[in-house]
Amino acid sequence: MSLDAAAPAQPFAHQGKFFDVLGLALKNAGLTIVTLTLYRFWARTSMRRRLWSRMWVMGDPLEYTGTGGELLRGFLISLPTFFIPAIFVFYVAPFAMDPVVAAWLSIGFYIFAVPLIAAARYWMRRYQLSRTRWRGIRMGLSGSAWSFAFASAGWTVLQTLSLGWYTPVARMNRAKLLWENARFGDQPFQFVEDGEPMHRGLWGPFALGWFSVLIAYFATITLMAVFVFIPLFGAAARGADGDAVGQVMAPYLIAAGVIGIAVFFALLLLLWAPYNAAAMNRIASLITLDGARFQLRAKTFSLFLVSLAGWAIIIFSLGLLAPMAGFLQVRYILNRLEMIGTPRFAEIGQSIVQEPRAGESLGDAFDLDMGVGVV
Amino acid sequence: MRARYADGRAAVYAEADVAFTPECVVIDVAGQRHIWTYAYLARADDSNGRILLKRIPDTGERLDLYASAAADLRPLAPALFRARAQGVERPRTIGALVAAAWSLAAVFLVGVPMAAAPIADVMPARYRNQIADISWAQVDGFTAYCDDSDEAARILNDAAFRIMSAADVPQREAIWITIVDAPFPNAFALPDHSIIVTDDLIAMAEHPDELIGVLAHEIAHIEHNHVMTNVVRQVGAGVFFDVVFGGAGAGQAIAIASVNLAGLRYSRGDEEDADSRGLEYLDAANIDSGGLARLFERFQAMSEEQGGDIPMLLSSHPASEARAAAARARSRPGLQPSLNAADWRVVRSACGANPDLSPADEEDAPPVPPDQPPVLAPPPAKPAEDLEGGNKG
Repeated sequence: MSLDAAAPAQPFAHQGKFFDVLGLALKNAGLTIVTLTLYRFWARTSMRRRLWSRMWVMGDPLEYTGTGGELLRGFLISLPTFFIPAIFVFYVAPFAMDPVVAAWLSIGFYIFAVPLIAAARYWMRRYQLSRTRWRGIRMGLSGSAWSFAFASAGWTVLQTLSLGWYTPVARMNRAKLLWENARFGDQPFQFVEDGEPMHRGLWGPFALGWFSVLIAYFATITLMAVFVFIPLFGAAARGADGDAVGQVMAPYLIAAGVIGIAVFFALLLLLWAPYNAAAMNRIASLITLDGARFQLRAKTFSLFLVSLAGWAIIIFSLGLLAPMAGFLQVRYILNRLEMIGTPRFAEIGQSIVQEPRAGESLGDAFDLDMGVGVV
Repeated sequence: MRARYADGRAAVYAEADVAFTPECVVIDVAGQRHIWTYAYLARADDSNGRILLKRIPDTGERLDLYASAAADLRPLAPALFRARAQGVERPRTIGALVAAAWSLAAVFLVGVPMAAAPIADVMPARYRNQIADISWAQVDGFTAYCDDSDEAARILNDAAFRIMSAADVPQREAIWITIVDAPFPNAFALPDHSIIVTDDLIAMAEHPDELIGVLAHEIAHIEHNHVMTNVVRQVGAGVFFDVVFGGAGAGQAIAIASVNLAGLRYSRGDEEDADSRGLEYLDAANIDSGGLARLFERFQAMSEEQGGDIPMLLSSHPASEARAAAARARSRPGLQPSLNAADWRVVRSACGANPDLSPADEEDAPPVPPDQPPVLAPPPAKPAEDLEGGNKG
């Protein structure tokens, strides 16, 4: 019997079993309800422990070392720094201050929230990487969360001004900043220059997504009009009692509306899947660790199915089983990831990046990770 | 026994020999011996098919054992095979969380509502006025001010002042009734002691005592500060949801709703309180509460007829047999109507309504005689421009 009996042969693999993860997700959902959501910090921790421990990299599993107590502490730290100002802005200022000042204060708060959410995302990733070990060696994220936050906010402005067309560049810029600050032990990841623009190969899929979403939008409205509204108004115009027709048709209208929205949403996922797959593959291809390169083989249709399954689980479980969506996504990526070359692991020492002592704080407030957190 | 050992300084495992003693695991690797006491060990594998040991506190060292080692290790270190060793929280942690969550809920959802009335009483008038501004902005949004209703409003304010004086309502100088044009029958109190009456409610009333009975109920809400009490209650719930759910927005939504007109709803206790106090006003002012009873009965019948599709007054003031019975029990038939026929006609013509258009079912209402009921005291003078634009900060 070998020590490697449990380990898969390929360099990257996720061996999480759907029903094993579902069992944990259901238990967590139950305890989260009983504790009026206070259990969420422990739920998140146990789910990460489960998902990380099933990620195998070159025959050894990842390990999640964070605790629910740390996440709770992070949340408690964020109380005075975020929640008390928020309570003042939203609960006290509208009663106690001049209405114009109070309105400006809440607008200012929302504007400040844009970089704050980006910073929270960075802190969350820093915490998660610091609590991720492989062969006992810790990962980490250096760099300034605020530098990332303000750069990211700037890119968000450009995305908005360009009606979305800056998105591929912004996505690659963000990935570059995040990965260049990521560490495995004392070894930094790098985002290589391969002589091509970072966003090479993304414009075609992006244009496909952008234009076809427009077409899908109008097509959905047209279909709804042809099959729902025109027959309804037609019946009313033929002299039928409008109210009576309305009452009879109401359930059908609601059902048609729900189906229309669901179909449109699924179409969105499908139409953006080529771009998302291309962007994920391109990002993976530019990451290196000690000379080793990565290759991700995300494909449009499989990525669409995984995303669709994830959203269906989230919607039908009213968000309670959101970690299952995270699981499907992580498993999808890990099982399609390959490594070209091998880092000199014997040369990679323990991480020297300072570990944050408390958890993700605002990441929880903004619910950035659907209950799991995907590094 | 063979195993793999990582020293926590490089990302590689080395082959090692391990032996289990009753207290510790002895690791021999590359000529060095490491002794790990079971009491200071934890698992790092989350049952993924390996037995991966680490030290407490974590030094980064890992010991990767054969799965078959479990048979030897389990009797010596059973704690390493419990969920706790994998980092799963203790049952007492869950117990503490349940207790903390429900204690917080008790404080915010029971304690704050119980303390809401005293808190509301000491809140500065400025807070009340600002909430009233928000309410007025919304009233302006879905109603129209009726230019022709000044005289009708004066008549209603006279009648209200008369009953408030008879019942010695302390806020009687501040309370002011405004008639608005709205597509539903309702009357409601705002935080600044205004009472809004819609033209549809006036049109539905078959007798002045019915309308005055509703006004008495609204005045009682103001006298007992129910509006602000309700705001305090809902803000307490909002803060609770924000803290417990981590600011996901649920709390803010509740707090924002609390200062919205739609959120200006009362607890059942407040409604009963306003009913009973309102009936006291009617008694004190010698007005028959039978009018209010008839109105409740009519609403009750309407809500039964129309199922879920009930007018807004009913949804915010649920009519019930009990409320009708309470009003009926204190009814004193034969008293003068609260308004004479001429005044009632003026009120019914507010907002361009045709006063001769009878409500659907008037046969059970007593006729309104033409004589004027006694006025106990003059109403406070309110400048007409206060009403224009409707913003009464």
